[in-house]
Amino acid sequence: MDAISIINAAINGVVIGMLLALPALAITMVFGIARFPNAAAGDSMTLGAYCAVGAQIFISDSLAVGVILATLVTAIVSVFFYGWVFRPLALRSNISRLIASIGVAFVIRNTITFFTGQDQYNLNVPLVRAWNFNGIRILPTDMYIVMIAMVALAIMFYILHGTDLGRKMRAVADNTDLAASSGIHSRHVMLSLWTISGLFCGLGGVLLGIKAVVVPDLGFELLMPMFAAVILGGIGHPVGAVIGMLLFSIGQEIASLYVGPSYKIPMAFVILLVVLLVRPQGIFGRPMAAR
Amino acid sequence: MNQTYNIDRRRFLSTSAALAATSILPQWAFAQAADTFRLGSLNSITGIGGPYGPAMLESIRLAVDEVNSAGGAAGRKFQLFTEDDQTKADVAVLAAKKLIEINRVQAIVGIWPSAVGLAVMPLTNNAGLIMMNTCGAPEMQTENKRGLAWMFQASNAVFGKAFAQVARQRGFKRPAVMAFNNSTFVGLADYFKKTWEAEGGKLSSLVIYEPNQTSYRTELNNVLATKPDVIAMGSYKPDATILLKEWFQTGQDCKFIMPGWTANKDLVKALGKEVTEGIISISNVANTEAPAYKSYAERFQAKLKREPDVFAAQSYDMVITLALAIESAGAKADTQAINDNIKTVTQGDGEKVSSFAQGRDILRKGGKVNYEGASSSLTFGARGETVPDFGVFEIRAGELVRKETIPGTA
Repeated sequence: MDAISIINAAINGVVIGMLLALPALAITMVFGIARFPNAAAGDSMTLGAYCAVGAQIFISDSLAVGVILATLVTAIVSVFFYGWVFRPLALRSNISRLIASIGVAFVIRNTITFFTGQDQYNLNVPLVRAWNFNGIRILPTDMYIVMIAMVALAIMFYILHGTDLGRKMRAVADNTDLAASSGIHSRHVMLSLWTISGLFCGLGGVLLGIKAVVVPDLGFELLMPMFAAVILGGIGHPVGAVIGMLLFSIGQEIASLYVGPSYKIPMAFVILLVVLLVRPQGIFGRPMAAR
Repeated sequence: MNQTYNIDRRRFLSTSAALAATSILPQWAFAQAADTFRLGSLNSITGIGGPYGPAMLESIRLAVDEVNSAGGAAGRKFQLFTEDDQTKADVAVLAAKKLIEINRVQAIVGIWPSAVGLAVMPLTNNAGLIMMNTCGAPEMQTENKRGLAWMFQASNAVFGKAFAQVARQRGFKRPAVMAFNNSTFVGLADYFKKTWEAEGGKLSSLVIYEPNQTSYRTELNNVLATKPDVIAMGSYKPDATILLKEWFQTGQDCKFIMPGWTANKDLVKALGKEVTEGIISISNVANTEAPAYKSYAERFQAKLKREPDVFAAQSYDMVITLALAIESAGAKADTQAINDNIKTVTQGDGEKVSSFAQGRDILRKGGKVNYEGASSSLTFGARGETVPDFGVFEIRAGELVRKETIPGTA
C-alpha cells in the first residue's frame, strides 16, 4: 500500500474523527456527570441536521443561520428532556436512565419522520474541487469542518478547565455528594451540562449533514462507534473522548485499505479490544480501584 | 394498590398464555371466513428502504381499495395487516412471524430488500403462504423451492449482465464496480464481473462497501487509483449521493452506470446538474404506456403528489395479480390453488386486461385473462422471476434522456 493512499485515508479519518468528537465529548460528559450512557445523543445529531435543512428551506441559504438554529433547538430539546425524563430518574439506577434515553431517541427520531417522511434531504453546500498536493487530496469543506470542530472543542476545554462552571462540573463528576456538601448546586451544573450536550450534538449533526446526506438514521447509526470511542478514551474523560474518536476513525479508514471496506468496522473494534486488554480503564481512564 | 397490581398481572399472564396457546393451535385455527382474505404487507418503511417503502405501502393500499370497492376477489374482501421491517432481516423475521401466527395472513406482499426476502422465505414456505416481493438477489430463485415466491423486480443477475453489456457497447475498457454490501448488490457486482470477464477483459477493481457510512472517500480513492473509465455502482440513493459528491470533489474524470431507482430526478435534485451530467441510468422502467399504469399513476399522484417509482408500481401489481388469481381460483380455493392461478392470469393468450374489475368480469363469464401490469407486462419464468427489458437513459442537463432499450437475458 503506497504512502499517498495511507495519508489520504488518515486525513479522512481525522476529519470524521474531529466531527464525531463533538457528540462523543457530549456523551462522555453526560456519562461523567449524569452517570449514564446517553443513547439519545445520536438522534440529537439527527435533529440538528434536520433543523439546518429546515433553516435552509424556510429561512435562508446561509449555513450560519442553520448552525445557530440547529444548536439552539437541540440545546432546548436536550434541556427539555433533562427536565422531563432524566431529572425525575436521577435517583434511579443508571440502567433505567439508559433505557429512558433509548426511549427519548425514538421520540426524537419518530417526531422528525412524522413531519419529514423517510426520504433523504441534503444541505445545500457548494461543491468545490479538492486541493491536490501530488495525490494527497484535501477538501476545503473538510478544512472548515475540522476548524469549526477545533474551535468548539477549544471553547469546551476552556470552560472545563478555566472557568468556575467547569470546576463545578468536574467536582460533580468526581464525587456528587462531596460536591453537594461543598455548596455546589447540582441543578445549575446539570442544566449547563444538558445545554452543552445539546449544543455539541446539534453542531456535530449539522457538520455531519454537510458531509453525508440527512436521513432519519443519520445519528443513530453512529452511536455504537461513538460509544466505543468513548470507552477507548476512558469513560467520562473529555480529552479521552476526542483522542478515542480520532484513533477509532483513523484506524477504521486505514484498516479498510488492508482488509477491505467490508471489515473496516470490525477492525476498529479490534483496536478497541487490544487497547482494553492492555488498559481496561481506557487510554485516559483512571482505574476504578484507585477511587 | 397491591391488589390491583396483582389482578393486572394475572390478567396479563392469562392473556399471554391464551395468546401463546392460539399460536400453538394447528391449522384449524385457520378455518377462515370465506368473505375475507387476510393480506399481510411487509414493507421497508424505515431504514435504508425509507425512500421507497412508504410509497410501496400506499400503492398496496390503493390496490386493496380498488379490489374491495369492486366487491372483493371472488367475493372475498382483502383485510390488510401491515408491518415495518426497518430494512433489517432480523426485524423482518419477527414481523413476518407476527403476520403469520397472530394475524394469520394468507399472503405477504411488498417485501423490498433481498436480505428480508431470503430471511422470510423459509417462514412463508413452511406456512404455505404466497410471498410477493421486489427482491433482486439471484438466490431468491434457487430458494423458491415451493414456487410460492414471486419476484416482481428483475433479478440482479439480469441487472449485472445488462450493466456489463451497456458498458461494453459504450466502448468502456476499464470498468470498476462499487456495490453496497447486501445480497442484492453483491449479486449485481458478481454478475457484472462474470459477464465482463466471460467476454474477455478485466475489471480495474471491485469494492463492496459498508452501509450507513458518513464518508466513502477511502473506498472511492482506492477505486479511482486504478484509473477506471467507468464505475458501475450498485447503490441506493443516500450512499450514491455521498459517493458522487466525493467523486466530484476529487476532480478525476470518470463515468457512472447506475440502477434507475437511484439515478433519477431525485438524485439530480440532491446533487445538481453538474455532478450528475452523463450518468448512465439503467432500469426496468414502469410500464408507463400501459393503461394499468396510467390509471394507477393518477391515483398515486392524487395521494402522494408525485410520479410512482418502479417498486411502488410493482407493489400495486402484486395485489391486483393476487386478486385476479383468487378470482380465477374461486371463493373456496386454498392458498395452493390461488398460487397455481397466478401464472394463468398474467400470461398466455387470455384477453389483455388492465384493472381488477375488467379482469374479474371476463373471468366470471368463463373467459381467460392476461393482466398487463403497471410495472411490466408481468411474465413469470419457471422460478417465479420476471425478465423485463431494460431502458438505458442518460442524465443530460438534469433530465433523463432515453437512449435505447436492451432485452433482458436470463
